[in-house]
Amino acid sequence: MIVAEQKPLEEIKSMIADARKVLVLGCGTCVTVCFAGGEKEVSILASQLRMATRLDGQEKEIRELTVQRQCEYEYNELAADHVRDADMVISLACGIGVQTMNEQYPEKLTVPGLNTSGLSQPTEQGVWEERCQACGNCVLHLTGGLCPVARCAKSLLNGPCGGSQRGICEVYAERETPCVWDQIYHRLKDLGQLDKLLEIEPAKNWHTSRDGGQRKIVREDLRL
Amino acid sequence: MNYTKKLLAETGLEPERLEMFFLSSAEGVRFAEIATEMTERARKLGPNPLKNGKAIEQPMEAEE
Amino acid sequence: MSEFEPQVLAFACHYCAYAAADLAGSMRLSYPPNVKVLHLPCTGKVDVLYLLRAFEKGADAVFVAG
Repeated sequence: MIVAEQKPLEEIKSMIADARKVLVLGCGTCVTVCFAGGEKEVSILASQLRMATRLDGQEKEIRELTVQRQCEYEYNELAADHVRDADMVISLACGIGVQTMNEQYPEKLTVPGLNTSGLSQPTEQGVWEERCQACGNCVLHLTGGLCPVARCAKSLLNGPCGGSQRGICEVYAERETPCVWDQIYHRLKDLGQLDKLLEIEPAKNWHTSRDGGQRKIVREDLRL
Repeated sequence: MNYTKKLLAETGLEPERLEMFFLSSAEGVRFAEIATEMTERARKLGPNPLKNGKAIEQPMEAEE
Repeated sequence: MSEFEPQVLAFACHYCAYAAADLAGSMRLSYPPNVKVLHLPCTGKVDVLYLLRAFEKGADAVFVAG
């Protein structure tokens, strides 16, 4: 899922410094399940902002609302009245939600309350680990289902570098992040597919990733 | 609890205004002690700066 | 400041602290009248938002007992 973290309160406060009526708008999809921008987080932030702005002597009117999915116009339409009443919107959604709001309500500025941090898996309660970088050209069939693009610090495609020590990656200071190439080796060994590692993977074609700018999918069969 | 204290500090309120206590149903004395302790603590910290209740603010204004 | 009487809110568990508060009453113990006790089925019912709201509404101190 898309995961995000809330920005520091100070940063959010400075973004809304000039507004008097502010709408805190949550999103009921990805950021709700990663506890960053759902109904509850909206209420907590709104409460904090009400108190903090009152303490600063410039009390603001803070409203709260959470839509089911902020990256789609249809859901955001339900927020129209609230947006109209507000001077500014703080979006507790991923970057897609923030931009959808700005596009849909161009007369009001929507500012981000979260930092969107990636496509991650909740590996244990309270921990999210990045699993996919949306490179647009999946190699998981070659690597035993473990992604070297997202999980190798150097996104290597032909085995580990010299910094893989006893299964641990050298890049992270805490020295506890596993080397994904070590994990790939063990997985392929278990599957009896070590021969896959003998194939040299040619330089990856990154044009499906960030090369060439913003990506766009057009499905003619789905268009109206 | 710690999370809420952090939220309060971030907001600009003293986290000491909030506390958690563990006690059993037999500890009537302890409850009275805690009640006294928290009231004293609040007295030391002074009024919640967010308070706009007339009952509290008016006498203070009258004092000034 | 001499007029300042703090308002303290207690979130008390039905089975522990609320019973303790009740006992304090029946033992005729005196404790400050500033404390208002809120009865919860269990302290597990306490939520970050309850606590924040209490401060937002002007409580000078809040404690959870259970």
